[in-house]
Amino acid sequence: MRHYFHGGIHPSDGTDKLLSNQKPIRIYNPKTVEISMKQSPGSVCEAIVKMGDRVSKGDLIGTPKSFGGANIHAGISGTVIDIKKHPDSSYKNVEIIVIESDDYNDNNEDAIYSARNYEERIIDLSKYTKDIIIAKMKDGGLTGLGGAGFPSHIKYETKEPIEYILINAAECEPYLTCDHMLMMEHGYAIVNGILLFIKASGSKKAIICLEDNKQDVAKVLESIIADKELPIEIKILPTRYPQGGERQLVEAVLGMEVPAGKLPASIGVIINNVGTAKALADIVLGDEPLISRVVTVTGKVKEQGNFLEPIGTRYSELIELAGGYTTTKSRLIGGGPMTGSVLQTGGNHEELTGSVLKISSGLIVLEDTPKDESPCIRCGECERVCPAGLAPFKIDFAAIEDDIKLCDKLYATECISCGSCSYVCPAKRELAYRITEAKTEIYRTRWQ
Amino acid sequence: MMKLKVGKELHEVSPHIEINRSTKVIMQDVVIAMMPALLGAVFFFGINSLILVLTAVTTCVLSEYIWQRSRKEQLTVSDWSAVVTGILIAFNVPSTTPIWAVMVASIFAIIIVKQFFGGIGSNFANPALMGRALLIFLWPSSISNYVTTFTSGTDAISSATVLGLYKSGSDFSQFSKWDMFIGNIPGSLGETSALLLLIGFAYLCYRRVVNLAATGAYISTVLLITFIFAKDGLFKGDILTNLLSGGLILGACFMMTDYASVAPRVKVILAVIAGLITAGIRLWGMLPEGVSYGILIANCLSGLIEAIIRPHIYGVRLKKQKDRT
Repeated sequence: MRHYFHGGIHPSDGTDKLLSNQKPIRIYNPKTVEISMKQSPGSVCEAIVKMGDRVSKGDLIGTPKSFGGANIHAGISGTVIDIKKHPDSSYKNVEIIVIESDDYNDNNEDAIYSARNYEERIIDLSKYTKDIIIAKMKDGGLTGLGGAGFPSHIKYETKEPIEYILINAAECEPYLTCDHMLMMEHGYAIVNGILLFIKASGSKKAIICLEDNKQDVAKVLESIIADKELPIEIKILPTRYPQGGERQLVEAVLGMEVPAGKLPASIGVIINNVGTAKALADIVLGDEPLISRVVTVTGKVKEQGNFLEPIGTRYSELIELAGGYTTTKSRLIGGGPMTGSVLQTGGNHEELTGSVLKISSGLIVLEDTPKDESPCIRCGECERVCPAGLAPFKIDFAAIEDDIKLCDKLYATECISCGSCSYVCPAKRELAYRITEAKTEIYRTRWQ
Repeated sequence: MMKLKVGKELHEVSPHIEINRSTKVIMQDVVIAMMPALLGAVFFFGINSLILVLTAVTTCVLSEYIWQRSRKEQLTVSDWSAVVTGILIAFNVPSTTPIWAVMVASIFAIIIVKQFFGGIGSNFANPALMGRALLIFLWPSSISNYVTTFTSGTDAISSATVLGLYKSGSDFSQFSKWDMFIGNIPGSLGETSALLLLIGFAYLCYRRVVNLAATGAYISTVLLITFIFAKDGLFKGDILTNLLSGGLILGACFMMTDYASVAPRVKVILAVIAGLITAGIRLWGMLPEGVSYGILIANCLSGLIEAIIRPHIYGVRLKKQKDRT
């Protein structure tokens, strides 16, 4: 079976991951958290607590207002000292719940996670039925931890028969190492989580998809599943971006394509991030909703590392933990460098606003270099690397001319916004940005 | 109406890392890759070669600068693409070409072929070859005086090219295959030395600037057709002479790979078309050499081939199948 998807790039020489891929996960307990009611781009929640309320760790504090939202829980025990309103591009005001810890001690040895049996052995899951697991996913506010933040229970409520679960452990974005370290340290929890996914979907088998730059992880996971006859397989794929795109992963691992406009479930596949598997184990076996995650803080900071902290931890505190910026011309990226967004340009990390979301995988400090677009020279690199098989430069021209019909004809809707085209463009054109805008515009006009 | 970010705002959009390569670097690489052949030209045909190259480059760069300046367009003259065009124009003419002819070809290539159609990337055909084509149409005598190399005798004397002799059935045994390989034969400035061109091409491959498949497809098509349909009978073509004596290697390595068509598959198909036309001209045409026309015609067909060749778009075929059932 082939292990390739169409197109793709090598956006790094691998040295960027070395900055943090051997740094054990550090646990951080903040004194206050600012939990946003908008945890992923497509959804918003409503606060169900008032100022002055006392909440315990794991209490429900926000419920979804729209499809695509998931419950939000308090990451620490304490008092709600403020509910801020934050203006937002797609929703009028997003509430931010500020909780101040009342039993705060900064002894980090008092870990968020005490030792749990599912971290040490495979658990007998016979008492958990499909419905129980899906209900717990929903209650526990489980969303994909890879980047899109789609609520997991919606994926598993599908009517389609599911054959395979793909566990996305490719972590194909440069710099990010949070999944890498999570797998190194929480192998058993992840395997238990994967077994829960299998039960929740009724599928035959799960495949853990790793890239070959994580051989150490493969060894750890293999030793866990060895001789236990678990329906789990480990597949090692050649390192290439965007391996971790759902559709690309299906193509690379199963040799199948997902029909355009359909979900992978339509061909019997569900894809979950490896971090989501760990979170599911915490929810079902550890009775703790999704209230924390691992974030990689790397790039031009003094001390790169991977930090486990409650959702809502301020970004500024994480940068402080990593020793601050080591460059004056900084560009802080939230997420991976290929698809993430700019959180701050230049300045000092103390002026930084915002806090960790369920989808925050990394805080990356890059040198802020100027970007200048020049005319397309038709070298064809963008078309060669496009994993969707598009001709990005043509869609780019059409988008600039505001010819939405032509964009549609050129299948701009199939763009996965991976950024490979912009990355390789020698003329430095922002192809991915304009194609993504065109895609949004096409959907908007279709709905009208 | 979409509101797209422009200028400084684009700073904010992902991806935030980029490949360590720009248009300028690519063009500089091509210039570097042509340096061995340029030195060879000076060695074989004398200092006049250098003067022609410098004239062509200067004229190209100046025309581009003046045009963009006077029309207040974005100045792209610093991207080195005009330098590449200039060198290629000089490479495609013999050393006896008058300086004014090279200047006319350069101005035509840059202003009419390149800038009229929208500047870099928007030209429909290779500007250098169009410049050469112009000279052939208007002043054929200016670029038809091929001379022998310095190293083959004391004075440069007029001589037909090896391909010309081969086509007319004349004897060309005074030129050994080794001479053809190193470039010690009459011809255009930059085309004669297969060895030096291949050194440059190897550098381009090392820098991953070119599409090796297109080069390979072009050369093999020309050689295959000229081998099969030789005038001495089927399967009696002189492969080495066809490969080494004309502009085939210059065209395949530095002009077929020019960025006029985009998709890799389309590039290979166009290379085959260019190969068929080149071989056809060499075998049955009026001229001994068909490299420039082969490539130019293929350039012009790129839009058509791109429209015919359907790209494989992820999941779309499956969706159509599902919709039907």
